[in-house]
Amino acid sequence: MKKISMFFVMALVFISATAFAGGYQVRLEGNKQTGMGLIGAPLQFGVSSMFYNPGALSFMKGKFGFDLGGSGIFANVTFEKYESDYIARTDNPVGTPFYFYVAGKVSKNIAVGFAIYTPYGSAEKWNSNWALKYLIQNISLQAVYFQPTVSIKMGDKFGIGAGLVFVSGSVDMNRALNYSGNSGVHLNGKAHSFGFNVGAHYKASDQWSVGVTYRSRINMDIKNGDATFHVPDALSAMIPATNHFSSSLPLPSNLDIGVAYRVTKKVLLAAELDWVRWSVYDSLSFKFKTNPQLLNSISPRLYKDNWIPRIGVQYKVSDKLLLRAGAYYETSPANKDYFSPETVTLNTFAYTLGVSYLPVKGLSIDASFIQLFGQNSKMNYLPANAVGYYKTNTVVPGLGISYHF
Amino acid sequence: MKKYTKIIYLLITLFFVASCKPTVDNFTPGAGSANFTSYVAVGNSLTAGYANGALYISGQKYGWANILAQQMKKVGMKGEFKIPYMPTEDGVGASEGSGLPTFRTKFVLGYSKDCLGNTSLAPVPSNPKATQIELWKEISTSVAANGPYNNLGIPGIKVTDLFGPGLAYRNPYFGRIAYSPADTLLNYAAKVHPTFFSLWIGNNDVLGYAASGGVGGAITPMAGAVGVGFKASIDAAVKYLVSLTGEGVIADIPDITSIPYFNTIPYDPIVLNQTQAGQLNAAYAKYNGAMKLMGLPYRIEFKAGANPMVISDPSMPLPDSLSYLKIRQIKSDELVMLELPTDSLKCAYWGTQKPVPDQYVLTESEIQKVKQATSSYNAEMLSLAKKYNLAFVDFNSILKNIEHGGLTVDGVHFTTKFITGNLFSLDGVHLTPQGNAVVANYFIDAINKQYGAHIPKVNISDYPPVKMP
Repeated sequence: MKKISMFFVMALVFISATAFAGGYQVRLEGNKQTGMGLIGAPLQFGVSSMFYNPGALSFMKGKFGFDLGGSGIFANVTFEKYESDYIARTDNPVGTPFYFYVAGKVSKNIAVGFAIYTPYGSAEKWNSNWALKYLIQNISLQAVYFQPTVSIKMGDKFGIGAGLVFVSGSVDMNRALNYSGNSGVHLNGKAHSFGFNVGAHYKASDQWSVGVTYRSRINMDIKNGDATFHVPDALSAMIPATNHFSSSLPLPSNLDIGVAYRVTKKVLLAAELDWVRWSVYDSLSFKFKTNPQLLNSISPRLYKDNWIPRIGVQYKVSDKLLLRAGAYYETSPANKDYFSPETVTLNTFAYTLGVSYLPVKGLSIDASFIQLFGQNSKMNYLPANAVGYYKTNTVVPGLGISYHF
Repeated sequence: MKKYTKIIYLLITLFFVASCKPTVDNFTPGAGSANFTSYVAVGNSLTAGYANGALYISGQKYGWANILAQQMKKVGMKGEFKIPYMPTEDGVGASEGSGLPTFRTKFVLGYSKDCLGNTSLAPVPSNPKATQIELWKEISTSVAANGPYNNLGIPGIKVTDLFGPGLAYRNPYFGRIAYSPADTLLNYAAKVHPTFFSLWIGNNDVLGYAASGGVGGAITPMAGAVGVGFKASIDAAVKYLVSLTGEGVIADIPDITSIPYFNTIPYDPIVLNQTQAGQLNAAYAKYNGAMKLMGLPYRIEFKAGANPMVISDPSMPLPDSLSYLKIRQIKSDELVMLELPTDSLKCAYWGTQKPVPDQYVLTESEIQKVKQATSSYNAEMLSLAKKYNLAFVDFNSILKNIEHGGLTVDGVHFTTKFITGNLFSLDGVHLTPQGNAVVANYFIDAINKQYGAHIPKVNISDYPPVKMP
């Protein structure tokens, strides 16, 4: 338990990612899968299946296993203002999503486990005096998922699994206000919520396997967040310095469908299609306890669902060395007319690389590397008339260790 | 193991190669077919950077002409855009309205107590202790030696003043930069060897009239020779500036009845209860009877709630012997000036027992004259822009659009409202720094369009909002 609480603290301090993928989703929950284009649903990569496909957990090797790892997200966002030579760049902190899985077989066909992972997060840190400071100065969104899981194998080929998800999250943001004396507002809130993760895995033959996973939508409902306003004294009666707010941020549902094909003993190919129901992110609203008539806001986001096609390959060099590669393309779920610089999500192409080194039987050291190219896009946030070009470049090295016996 | 070290090295190298900052390059500044080597800005207080009721250092710095000039530096402007800075940050301004101007320092937002003892946030002088003599000394000290200046925005000038000899005597803001009393504003403009000019003028040709409630000053007529009529004067001015530079931008004038100076105090600020209304109606019964007798439509009637003010209107069709009857209630479409002393409404029975003097009100017929002059001036300026292939900014349409729908840029919302509208400073006539930035961007738009130039626009959020205590 001590270990878990330590992770919990680490999570609140560190995890965050940006310019990484669609919206504020971060799908880095296993370095083996990450190396293969972030594909997971049709694969049996041990205990990390608890995130990618709980149905595949029952296919785990050995009686007991764990998998632990993380990544560093180095994201660079460049903004060029429309009809201007003004350029702004983020100074984002390094995002550090992580995962920890532990599972064991309670019988031949039943495996149970516990997972901690961070599938959503975002951090954008713009200069506090940048051109769009009245939209956002910096934001950090964090969500840690805790998931007890059970997986049952029905016969040799078919496995199903389900996990109950408890989410602990927080949001912290700063925005400038157009009043004199460096006015601004700082919002900080915590949210706790529940959801689920279910999957089915079918190993049709020695060559073919398929998988389907569904992770439910979870709303991060902030009930009593802290708002701190810094405004001139003349306005302090209207805008009190301390206030409380409520808000809700949806973490959308995902449907992953994948297929894997073992071409030879050495070569494994996989493809996956992920559907993310971003359309639930319709608007972002803040409701304040004191003086709501003046302070409440609803900002349209109008995200749309997106489909992400992925391909990946694994090559077994020897019993001790595995190499992986993959690629995917993700269309931005954001609406180009309601594009807020708090979440810079662009049409993105990515390639992935991975390697596993197995010094002794059961032990695997897994490294991965991703580079993402967010394509130069002209975006506007219509309600603020804030037009500019955004481009991102992100690299994500990752390292993990897994063991089973 | 060697194999794995190699892979790790490969990954590390890849990381450093890959983790560069992305470059975006969608905009390259350029002058197009224009030559921005030396820019001269000719105009009135708006061009000078006058704000909050005065000309002062930071206001001059945040003036749109200086904002535009700083952007022109990126497309070929050489040297400095010279501004005749005032000696102080309190600055010197002259009161609007009729009669001899009184000097004052700029306004700041502060707390002031009204005659009823209520404290509220209002524009107050930044230095109430400054004497007329001190202010006169500040404004009349010559800075000609540091010239010639590129910013030739001279507060208070009309189109007819551009070629006017003796302007240095009549206008201290020009007097302080002129080399000799014989200098005219336009001859002075030649001294900076301009290659590009801006001319934004005409506001005072109507504002001087309007801001005095039609009492002092006259609207500059369209007809008449240079120095008398608007048409001949602006034609000659543009022709002269084109002869100096070849290229430039002119801007038309907004309908000044849209600005907060005329739209902040409502026509019906008199709040009464039933008893008070009854007493006033009894007192005005004779007035109403007399009007009825003379077959005139004027009636003065009060009710419980908000009531229109009683104003004096010398244009009412009554013989001079009955001039004490030349009073009436203001109509809902007539405009009250920001400089109306509201304490007189609250404590000295103005608007009820005593009429509000004509100089604080723009009546229907006066508004009509202002609008007519504005549209004639603007038509002439547009035709000059076409004739000489100059860039043209249609501020009349721009301000109308802002009046009707507001304007949002970079998350800053602009309206024509006083103080909260972000556009107009505390005098209700001149611009805030953010308002100046918006105006500079409109000039940039027009220049870019006319000359195929790429002058970069400025960020509105780089400019400070209205300062609050």
